[in-house]
Amino acid sequence: MNYDTLHNHPLTSRRRLLVDTARGLGGIALASLLHEQGLLADEKSPLRPQIDPSQPFAARDAHVPAKAKNVLMIFCSGACSQIDTFDYKPELIKRHGEPMPGADKLITFQGGQGNLTKSPWKFKPRGECGKMVSDLVPMLGDLADDMCFIHSLTGKTNTHGPGENFMSTGFTLDGFPSMGAWTTWALGTENQNLPAYVAIPDPRGTPQSSVNNWGPGFLPAAFQGTDFNASQPLRNLDRPAGIDAKTDEATRDFLQQLNRKHLEQFPGDSELSARISSYELAAKMQLSVPEVGDLSTESAATIKMYGADDVENTLKASYAKNCILARRLVEKGVRFVQVFNGAYQTGGEGVSNWDGHKSLEVQYAKHGPVLDQPTAALLKDLKQRGLLKDTLVVWCTEFGRMPTFQAGASGRDHNPAGFTAWMAGAGVKAPFTYGATDEFGYKAVENVATVYDFHATILRILGLDHERLTYYHNGIDRRLTDVHGHVIEDVLV
Amino acid sequence: MNIRVLQFRHESARIVTNPEPLKFVPIREIRGKTRSSKQLTTSPRTTLFAIFAAMITLTTQCLTAAEPDFERDAVPILKEHCFNCHGPDESESKLRLDSMMAALIGGNTGEKTVVPGHSDQSYLIELITHKDPAKRMPPESDPLSEEHVNILRAWIDDAAAWKDTQQKVADRKTDHWSFQPLARPDVPPVDEAKNAIDAFVAGKLSDVGLRMSKPAERRRLIRRLFLVMHGLPPTPEQVEAFVNDSQPDAWKRLVEQVLASSQYGERWAQHWLDLVRFGETNGYETNRERPNAWPYRDWVIDAFNNDKPYDQFIIEQIAGDAVGDPIGTSFLVAGPVDIVKSQDPNLTMMQRQDELADMINTTSTAFLGLTVGCARCHNHKFDPISQTDYYAMQAVFAGVQHGDTALPLPEDAQQQVTMLDADIATLKQQLAKFVSKDAKRPAVNPKLNVEEFAAVPAKFVRFTINGTSSGQACIDELEVFSSNENVALASEGAKSSSSGDFVHPLHKLSQINDGIYGNPNSWISAQVNGGWVKIEFADVRKIDRIVWARDRQGNYGDRLAVDYRIDVSADDKAWSPVASSEDRESPDKESNAPDYDFAAFAPDEAEAGRALLTSLQGVTKQREVLAKPRMVHAGTFRQPGATHRLYRGEPASPREEVLPAGIASLEGVQLAADSAEQQRRIETARWIASAENPLTARVMVNRLWQFHFGTGIVDTPSDFGANGTKPTHPKLLDWLAAELIDSGWSLKHIHRLILMSATWQQDSQPQAAAMLVDASSRSLWRFPPRRLEAEGIRDCIVAVTGKLNSTMGGPGFSAFEVQLENVRHYFPKQDFGPGDWRRMVYQTKVRQERDAVFGVFDCPDGSSVTPKRSRSTTPLQALNLLNSRFVMQQAEFLAARLQRERADPAAKVVRAYELCFGRTATPDEISVALKFVDRADWLQFARAMLNANEFLFVP
Repeated sequence: MNYDTLHNHPLTSRRRLLVDTARGLGGIALASLLHEQGLLADEKSPLRPQIDPSQPFAARDAHVPAKAKNVLMIFCSGACSQIDTFDYKPELIKRHGEPMPGADKLITFQGGQGNLTKSPWKFKPRGECGKMVSDLVPMLGDLADDMCFIHSLTGKTNTHGPGENFMSTGFTLDGFPSMGAWTTWALGTENQNLPAYVAIPDPRGTPQSSVNNWGPGFLPAAFQGTDFNASQPLRNLDRPAGIDAKTDEATRDFLQQLNRKHLEQFPGDSELSARISSYELAAKMQLSVPEVGDLSTESAATIKMYGADDVENTLKASYAKNCILARRLVEKGVRFVQVFNGAYQTGGEGVSNWDGHKSLEVQYAKHGPVLDQPTAALLKDLKQRGLLKDTLVVWCTEFGRMPTFQAGASGRDHNPAGFTAWMAGAGVKAPFTYGATDEFGYKAVENVATVYDFHATILRILGLDHERLTYYHNGIDRRLTDVHGHVIEDVLV
Repeated sequence: MNIRVLQFRHESARIVTNPEPLKFVPIREIRGKTRSSKQLTTSPRTTLFAIFAAMITLTTQCLTAAEPDFERDAVPILKEHCFNCHGPDESESKLRLDSMMAALIGGNTGEKTVVPGHSDQSYLIELITHKDPAKRMPPESDPLSEEHVNILRAWIDDAAAWKDTQQKVADRKTDHWSFQPLARPDVPPVDEAKNAIDAFVAGKLSDVGLRMSKPAERRRLIRRLFLVMHGLPPTPEQVEAFVNDSQPDAWKRLVEQVLASSQYGERWAQHWLDLVRFGETNGYETNRERPNAWPYRDWVIDAFNNDKPYDQFIIEQIAGDAVGDPIGTSFLVAGPVDIVKSQDPNLTMMQRQDELADMINTTSTAFLGLTVGCARCHNHKFDPISQTDYYAMQAVFAGVQHGDTALPLPEDAQQQVTMLDADIATLKQQLAKFVSKDAKRPAVNPKLNVEEFAAVPAKFVRFTINGTSSGQACIDELEVFSSNENVALASEGAKSSSSGDFVHPLHKLSQINDGIYGNPNSWISAQVNGGWVKIEFADVRKIDRIVWARDRQGNYGDRLAVDYRIDVSADDKAWSPVASSEDRESPDKESNAPDYDFAAFAPDEAEAGRALLTSLQGVTKQREVLAKPRMVHAGTFRQPGATHRLYRGEPASPREEVLPAGIASLEGVQLAADSAEQQRRIETARWIASAENPLTARVMVNRLWQFHFGTGIVDTPSDFGANGTKPTHPKLLDWLAAELIDSGWSLKHIHRLILMSATWQQDSQPQAAAMLVDASSRSLWRFPPRRLEAEGIRDCIVAVTGKLNSTMGGPGFSAFEVQLENVRHYFPKQDFGPGDWRRMVYQTKVRQERDAVFGVFDCPDGSSVTPKRSRSTTPLQALNLLNSRFVMQQAEFLAARLQRERADPAAKVVRAYELCFGRTATPDEISVALKFVDRADWLQFARAMLNANEFLFVP
């Protein structure tokens, strides 16, 4: 693997880079140049993972001791409304039907605003903490004691594609590495027989920003998310039809014979050895991926808990199977798992995802039950198996929605000015609520946090310093958090 | 070359505390201000002085009347309040205030800290007097006293005192290597050198105590040559011919043959397409197809094959429309673009800023190796590129929009069209007497309607809908012409309003006059069978033509305004009609030609008339076909308004106007505020493509070197700035750059030099001792071997199986089945035929979705510029090559080919080795292979060969 380009050399620090370069060819002047400019003093030096090209996924140390080993992210595509789920606003209920002050001047994604509109779902106190959560997601609400809410997230865009890019990659533009790619590049993974990073698309299809959500950007392609779900197996995993296992194995043996013979001419060539190991890894994956995806070993009670046996709501059952798959992956030590709820296929706007512009009540009445029981079961299951001790669960969406209905419609427009995410498990306080939106749930006003802050916090929980986890690309030391972001210390244990 | 620099080169700080200025400083204030350990401690002297000063109450007024002096008057104030963070020890935001030069240069925000003679425009004064305590400087402190502020104002306002400093700032030069003028270095005298390249390389090798490897054997050499230059393996016959060629110029002839082949362009164009983020979908959430992008891909291939001079290649990509080659500007708009527009004006402005940033970033990195894009929000952190430079470059591209443009007709077609037009005119004349008396204008057409009328002055145009073919009327664009200028464009200052808009992300009022055609960029009235839309021009204009349509792209014919009226007004009060549907045919009538009436004529005359009409219809049809322009996604251009520097890159925080220009520190071209749109680009292109530009030639020869040796002489190919790496062989780089310019910018000349060098021809095998010193072979003690890229692997597979379809050019083939929803979904194809076995450079480049088999071999998706691909190795690559339908089918073809071409099993193995590895098999290898075939079959043998390291590596 070509990790040895100068800037992405597996280094421990920029100073080390300079020492190395200075010893090498033509590097001295660079060192002196940087020194002259005083760049060494006022910058946090990069910490880059030491990657053995023949074992790119070997587990690596974090920058500081980690609170969580794995991340399980649940992403609600289409922009799930905070107003109808977790952000309780009595004032909105009180002033239902009145115009929102200042809304006449407000132009959001699809245009003008109608009146303030309370959620069609009632809020009730949940758990011992009494957190107010709506009846749209009652089973998730029951787990409020395990959750750490951030109600004051703010985004930079109110368009889905860029919004998903922003939440998943830290940039609204296409072409940047996803959070999972950054994480696995930095940390590798515990289980070498499974992909380090798995993205589980919704049963209905891919989210609006599609593979950008788990893409490698400019990081080596090795660190992109591998996408499969309970109904769509990993592409090209199975041996071709008509070839029996023995022949297949013989072919791989013969191939490795060819490769070892060739290696004799290029002793010590790491790229060639890495290819040899990659075929061995692939063979292991052929055994372990079907195994992890085989839900038949799950008990009837588990299947029932997730709702994977729901014959009436088959969509819920399919999503539930994805949730079980996610748990199994986490259990096996996969570093980063992303589960999507909502897709852009088969209908688009609001029909197959959370983009409730026109008839929110009708659409959310379908989406709520799909999300609620399986996701709640996933959280409970992780907890009862002791996996929450090492796993950070993150629930998020691309941005929020307006407390008003759109002019002339029965749904809410996009709103990046204030929205909710929650975390649970390793590293975070629970029950806990951080930040708040205004009296209507429109704009973050208390402890305003950015998506950069959110990312910085997740990396910190994984033991990574968001300012030092950098990759040199096209003239810039790139970060997940661009040049922004502060760890939200208040939510950390 | 006189290079000015904005890089921070401060004067040695002279902090003179003596003589102290006379000023009023209460003791309480001095004591109270020791807020941190970093705080400069106030000397007892100052305190004593303050007491002294306090006693003389009149001093301030007396002194401000005198001419202010930096050391005497300003330094003490700045020292007290500012030096803590902006002085000799700390320079936050890269700002120091301890010398006039440093103050004038300013910090990295791009704001003008000091504008000599204009304290009111100086950021320093703005910040120390800011009303918002959160923004005021110094932070978390009491504001400066009015007296202090006044002293600083006086210091800045004394324009004469700044003259010298201004001159010094203007005269600064950078000492960064890549900004220095290019001079051809002498070639060091080295005996065994084959050519100049070897002499430079040998020098560096002896510095590190290494030697060049022995020449590679001919089989390895020809394989390397074909893989590097064509991305395809040599045929066994080509290998044998070269191995047996005993002429002394065998290699030279082979190199010429390879350079003359069109497969060279197909290979090297891919490198360029990576670099300019070429893609054939728009990216972002809808990721729609861009069906007219491929001509640029062919244009690049042709440019390489024809050895188009590199300076011309640059000029045509930035301003090809100005020099008669309009395809090249596809470069500017080849990147992703967010077509999902919203009602939110801030978002719209940011989207436009992102589009321009993409153009600036790509142009500056591809040609200049400079990351100008880094200066969007603040001055460049490392390089002499100011935020003003960024916006000057933005002004150059401010008139460029994504979109298709019609190519001018080829000359012969144009001639034919002119002839046909003459025929049509004659026929119409002959038919004039048959025209029916009550002929009407053609019926309303969803694709285009032209309303022509006698020129009339107007400031407002109103389009009123009285009836539609169905539902609410949709108009994709309303164009109002004053001779040939569309004065209705929002970019020309025109404003739109309406009786009400249908709410939908694709249909917005702003799109009625945004210059973009088609249903996804249209306006729909809120009212069924009614409503109006109005355009107000920036000034009163004499208008003579209005053009409108339902969908100029021809995909939609519903929601057509069939009953309408168009009125004009000078004052928005008194309206007069200029056109309506009244004199049009009813919409259900098909013919668009005027009605002819032959009934009133004698039978033979009528017969002749009918014959003429038939001819007219035929010729008109013929003309329509001939005149149909070929569309290319090469952008559209319109005169832009003023460009402003944006504070922190925020569209909502415009600062001063910035004129179009190149990078100041590189003596970039300077253009006037009113310079024409095209002139901005062509002048900038000429400045970039100049032999005087120190970066252009260096950057390009380095790229060529990188694609030969895997790593450039500069390892950061698109960053020749201070944050990039220094060249390993600086003189070689300069020598090659000089060769490029002196050869008339011939890239093939550089290829020849490189390919004829011993450096390129040496062996690639590792040597333990050399590996210890230089494992990555940067000193070039061997040719560094490496894995082929995605395209190379796929192309080599179809080549050795005999299935390569060598059709060049034209629309690409797709790797996907496309689900045509608003948001496109791409599903990997599972069945492949000859159309799919073209070279991968012809595979339609879908952003985000990578090829299901080869994408995982670090194939970029065109979302961002890729000057150098990463090379990773993953189990998914192995699974794809072993198990995919594509590779299995090819393995079947290879097995069938072996079966067809050789009868004897051992000969089959040998043939496979010749095809896949470019060499024969050893007896041992034959016996191992045959043993395996006994257990498995020839298909499995072929499958293994296509997965082998030796097959995938450039040796």
